[in-house]
Amino acid sequence: MSRDVREIVREEPLVRSRILAALAAGPRTVPEIAAAIGAPENETMLWVMGMRKYGLLTDLPEPEGDYYRFQAATK
Amino acid sequence: MSTSSSNGSSSAGGGGRVDYDARVVGSGIGGMESALKLGAMGYRVLVVEKEPSVGGKMILLSKVFPTLDCASCISTPKMGETTHHPNLTVLTDAEVAGIGRDDDGRFSVRVRQKPRFVDTPLCTGCRLCEFACSVSVPDQFNGELVARRAAYIPFPQAVPQKALVERAGTSPCTFACPAGIKAHGYVSLARSGEYEKAFQLVLETTPLVGSLGRACYAPCEEQCTRGDLEGSLPIRRIKRFLADRHEGGPGVEPGEPTGKRVAIVGSGPAGLTAAWQLGLRGHRVKIFEAAPEPGGAMRLSIPSYRLPAEVVERDVANVTALGVEIETNSRVDDLEALQRDGFDAVLLATGTPVPVQLGVPREELGAVSPALDFLRSVKLGDPPDLAGKRVVVIGGGNVAIDAARSALRLGASEVHEVCLEARSQMPAYEFEVEEAVAEGVVLHDSWGIRGFGGKDEVTAVELKRCTAVFGADGRFDPQYDETETDELACDVAIVAIGMRRERNLQVDAITLQSAEQPWLFAAGDVVTGPAKIVDAVGAGRRAAFMLDRYLRGESLSEVPFDERLPGVEHEDVLRRQRGHSRRDPLAPAIRLVSHPSDFAELEPGLAEDEIRAAAARCLDCGVCSECHECISVCPAGAIDLEQREQELEVGVGSVIVSTGYSLFPADAKPQYGYGRFQNVITGVQMERLLAPTRPYNTVLRPSDGKMPDRIAYVMCTGSRDETVGNPLCSKFCCMYSIKQNQLIMGALPLADVTVHYVDIRTPGKGYDEFFEQAKAMGGQFIKGRVASIAEAEGGNLILRYEDVDNGGHIAEAEYDLVVLAVGVRPNLDTKTLFSDEELALDEFDYVDEPEEDINPGATSIPGVFVAGAAAGAKDIPESILHAGAAVAQAAAWLEREKVTA
Repeated sequence: MSRDVREIVREEPLVRSRILAALAAGPRTVPEIAAAIGAPENETMLWVMGMRKYGLLTDLPEPEGDYYRFQAATK
Repeated sequence: MSTSSSNGSSSAGGGGRVDYDARVVGSGIGGMESALKLGAMGYRVLVVEKEPSVGGKMILLSKVFPTLDCASCISTPKMGETTHHPNLTVLTDAEVAGIGRDDDGRFSVRVRQKPRFVDTPLCTGCRLCEFACSVSVPDQFNGELVARRAAYIPFPQAVPQKALVERAGTSPCTFACPAGIKAHGYVSLARSGEYEKAFQLVLETTPLVGSLGRACYAPCEEQCTRGDLEGSLPIRRIKRFLADRHEGGPGVEPGEPTGKRVAIVGSGPAGLTAAWQLGLRGHRVKIFEAAPEPGGAMRLSIPSYRLPAEVVERDVANVTALGVEIETNSRVDDLEALQRDGFDAVLLATGTPVPVQLGVPREELGAVSPALDFLRSVKLGDPPDLAGKRVVVIGGGNVAIDAARSALRLGASEVHEVCLEARSQMPAYEFEVEEAVAEGVVLHDSWGIRGFGGKDEVTAVELKRCTAVFGADGRFDPQYDETETDELACDVAIVAIGMRRERNLQVDAITLQSAEQPWLFAAGDVVTGPAKIVDAVGAGRRAAFMLDRYLRGESLSEVPFDERLPGVEHEDVLRRQRGHSRRDPLAPAIRLVSHPSDFAELEPGLAEDEIRAAAARCLDCGVCSECHECISVCPAGAIDLEQREQELEVGVGSVIVSTGYSLFPADAKPQYGYGRFQNVITGVQMERLLAPTRPYNTVLRPSDGKMPDRIAYVMCTGSRDETVGNPLCSKFCCMYSIKQNQLIMGALPLADVTVHYVDIRTPGKGYDEFFEQAKAMGGQFIKGRVASIAEAEGGNLILRYEDVDNGGHIAEAEYDLVVLAVGVRPNLDTKTLFSDEELALDEFDYVDEPEEDINPGATSIPGVFVAGAAAGAKDIPESILHAGAAVAQAAAWLEREKVTA
């Protein structure tokens, strides 16, 4: 049973720094980020999309296979 | 908030009531159409919308069928026109509290205007508040596929394009704090790693961050909702971490100088907090402290193993950094002399420095001393020599415990504590009693004092059995059994049975101002008697607020101070989630040893990772944490957390009910796995994935961000289904699914889309051609119900379905993503709209139209009409047509009323 979405998104501020650290070496897909931070993929998806919405991440224009890759936004 | 206004001025109605010709409930496409048409006819219309934006559900759609026109492009002009039409007044964030009928036949409407916590005329819609907000919640306007913030603009095309702050109330932790410290706020900032901002948030209330981080009794933690699960958050220790981590001065500048001078007598928590607050307001403050060190009980009484002197000194330095002058060893007996010396106001905050005596024989013997004197000597570095001595401490409160534990640390061979109360009734905190016993203090509970033994020096404490501490009326009235006595041999006796104030000064409980001398205020224990540090902090803050008003010549009567929204109920918080993962609380970290020999601090600080993990357990009870980040960044100064709900009363000649429909909750069909399987979504969520303002960059699986190759639609989810109590067809699910089918094939050209349907209903102009177009584009359509959905490894979904056109056999197919074409239900809000009359509903709970065939839009109540899907499922063109009918009915009604009036 997956966790309640409210509980997952509440933790976004907590995991931001870990996700950004995981992207320090270059763009990654959601499953790759999830593996890097040791979190479930569905939860990572919510965090990544929340960070994308608020300008902390951007997606690369072309997908790699079935997945898009995300990178830290440059300020 | 009123997003438009025009003729909202009062007309026929009296008593401040605003009158309109008509009122429209709801601002979806039916409501907007109704209001705009009535407005175009010259009627003045009030639109009441419960959401923060007009537009209803249509504005959240991707495109409309069968034209594939952009839904936003159609909706937004109507939304703009609705809010700017000179004949329309729009109230968003507003709900109807009740509609009654006046004697003249018109309707009287009570409207609850919910606070937006943003001054909307000032708000520019820049979203800086949203980006700064520390609380993340699911975005209901994006199908909860992504997060939004507690401070937010609902969606990019929202009208008004203004921010609001979601507040469910005051979080229980913050609500419980007597000082008004925003506990939830600093916890949420700590969760984000914003430690300095969190420190500054506490400074908004008090300079005593470090002291409270160690010595507060933490009523916030007692009220923490997480306490109903595995245990409360360590809120106090989070505050301590913030103080310990902070370096340098407070980083806060005093306010613009007012030229006013304030004298504060006493430098305990009330005096220091008042000085801090007054300094922030630009007043020149001088504190007079009788003791050699400032800080009151924090500096002089609380032992260093709980509150080190340097922590208090650091907090005091916050105050002096603001320009506050502190004169120690300066006792003030003549308050009026201070006024004569040029101080514009005086605050008395001297606490309760006088020890209460036992009043028993031989109390004057040597080596019998008050606990306050004893503790003070210890804290100031001049303790008595207790090495090898037997000590008896008398009292059952925290001061007695402090004295007993301090005596142990000074090398006493034995420390006994005697108290009237049974252990379970002792006023000291239970954990303190436990710790004292663990360190070696011997507790003698339910004993009173007969007197002291000895000639010049005390040699024994004489006891008598205490049978009751309080009388039947609950007042302190100890009863003894004089026949049961005992005696404790000792070398030193320390009395800790209470403290009292030096002088009685009567002040108003609210304003803290003296009735006789308006320049004189008092706060803290000197007013209330012995209380907790955080209570005194709250009193000091209140005193500063009142003093400031006094100094500015403003009234002190009936001025709101620290008015908080009601505390959020724990049950309401816990109900927001379908479950809560266990998050183990931090274990108590105090390391106790028997007969400790030093005053080293007992409780270690928390590490950063512990702080982050602990703060992440916060449930965001009030939603908004009151971290004040939005206030800090708003360039327009538009955030107003003091806004409160208001009730308005309006008069109208006619009412149009346009409350739309509600969606079928997809998890009510558990065999489809919605809410359990990440890749089962609803048609509404797919609308968002396809919309220009979508939550992701394209159509992706929620489970892992994969672009789905195979997508299935399950039609009639919650429609035409007696098992969920809805036999009705929802009318537009087929068409929106066909539309999405085409849009997906455009967004993901390689994807296969299969629709599992009961039968496809396309009864509209161009609808059937639209269906054929989808098939021609490659859409697959399989007739037959889906029995169940199971999740395979990797998040794929196995559909078990009936294939009617191929022999009716049962088959299975695997998909990457499943979309449930959910149907609609009536919006039951209509049941409570009217207070005097009953608005009849049909057998399915939609608003009844008794003469639907010949009189569409008319309801069971004369003068009340229904528009759009509130009367039954309708697609957009039908809703607009129906709204036209309702408008015609309403206009005819209003004209008839004019003629017959």
